[in-house]
Amino acid sequence: MWNKRENETMPSSAETPQAVVASSALPPAPRRDASGGIGPSISIVGDITGEEDLTILGKVKGKIDLPGYNVTVGESGRVEADVNAKVVSVAGEVHGNLIAAEQILVRKTATMLGNLKAPRVGLEDGCCFRGSVDMERPEKGRVASAPLPRATVPIAPAKPASPLPVTTASGGVMAPKSETAPVRS
Amino acid sequence: MSWLFGKRSVAEPARPPVRRSLALRGLLAGLRPGPRHAVLDLGPPVADNIEFLAGLSCRVRIVDLQRSLAAETAEKTAEGAMAALLERLLPVEPDERYDALLAWDVFDYLRPDQVSSLMGRLSPLWQPEARALVLLSTGRKIPMKPVRHRILGLETLGEEGLRQPTRPGPQYSELQLARMMRGFSVSHRVLLKTGMQEYLLVRGAGLGALAAPTSGNAGPPSNRTWFRKR
Repeated sequence: MWNKRENETMPSSAETPQAVVASSALPPAPRRDASGGIGPSISIVGDITGEEDLTILGKVKGKIDLPGYNVTVGESGRVEADVNAKVVSVAGEVHGNLIAAEQILVRKTATMLGNLKAPRVGLEDGCCFRGSVDMERPEKGRVASAPLPRATVPIAPAKPASPLPVTTASGGVMAPKSETAPVRS
Repeated sequence: MSWLFGKRSVAEPARPPVRRSLALRGLLAGLRPGPRHAVLDLGPPVADNIEFLAGLSCRVRIVDLQRSLAAETAEKTAEGAMAALLERLLPVEPDERYDALLAWDVFDYLRPDQVSSLMGRLSPLWQPEARALVLLSTGRKIPMKPVRHRILGLETLGEEGLRQPTRPGPQYSELQLARMMRGFSVSHRVLLKTGMQEYLLVRGAGLGALAAPTSGNAGPPSNRTWFRKR
């Protein structure tokens, strides 16, 4: 009588081992929210691969291959590498080609020398950029050997649109694109 | 309350001047039907332009020539040394052939020999009947830095940076332009109220090269009378 509740709440002996076995058999799930960083005083020469977002504030020379993850080059970051990622944001200096499955954003503080390829590319006015921009679906293995995640590749916009909020150099708002805008000859 | 009184509030940023550009229309109409086009932009990177051209299946190469040259030493930009510098600024990719050149007003900030070196570097990289949009100032003074041109429509341009300190301008003539841009011939021109002469140049066949509109209202009118002759 006194053990009635105890018996109800106790799991059956047959379930517990199965659950333990099942969880231990799975590979550890990638931590999507994880991120790594390269500090301002760190220099790396070589290739970088992994399964987490990366923020670079130091120097990297080589190749960065993080398909499906975000790469951020901070203002103090100096990168001489081809980068393959899901989203690439550049506020520092990059010499190399960037391929992103979703988006590339070059901030106004950035110095970007290289070619950009992504479905969406945003260049803030005032940035230093020299290279080509190709807003096309990335091809497999153009820069990096690892395939890009198909599920994260959106279709390129069919008409000129402004999906990215880009401010003008003076901090103003861009004039809307309109065929009916008042014009002067 | 600006909606009520029809006046812009102090905090609201001023909109850049917008004007019609038939040369831009002619240039965009010249982009041949095909899977991809390549456009060379000598001006600074402008997100609107890249997005607009991407919508027309264009791959855009940005050079930002004036800024790039300003960052170089005088020795590297001297006459005779430009070829080596341009090799670095304009790396040639094997299959890249440009359909259009957006020179904007950058030539006003270059010496004639620099423009000639640039065009010499680019000469094997043009598609047949490639087109170029060039703006040259007819006035003695030009803004200290090139004006930022923003493509707002097929024939609509925004201009930012018109009000800034000035410097002497080269006042290139059409003849000088033709000498600097060998292989291109002036197809149309129009003198703007700002004193800028807007040119549309076509490589190769010259005046007859302007094709009929390719689709819809994307093309220029069928004759050349839509430009005021100087």
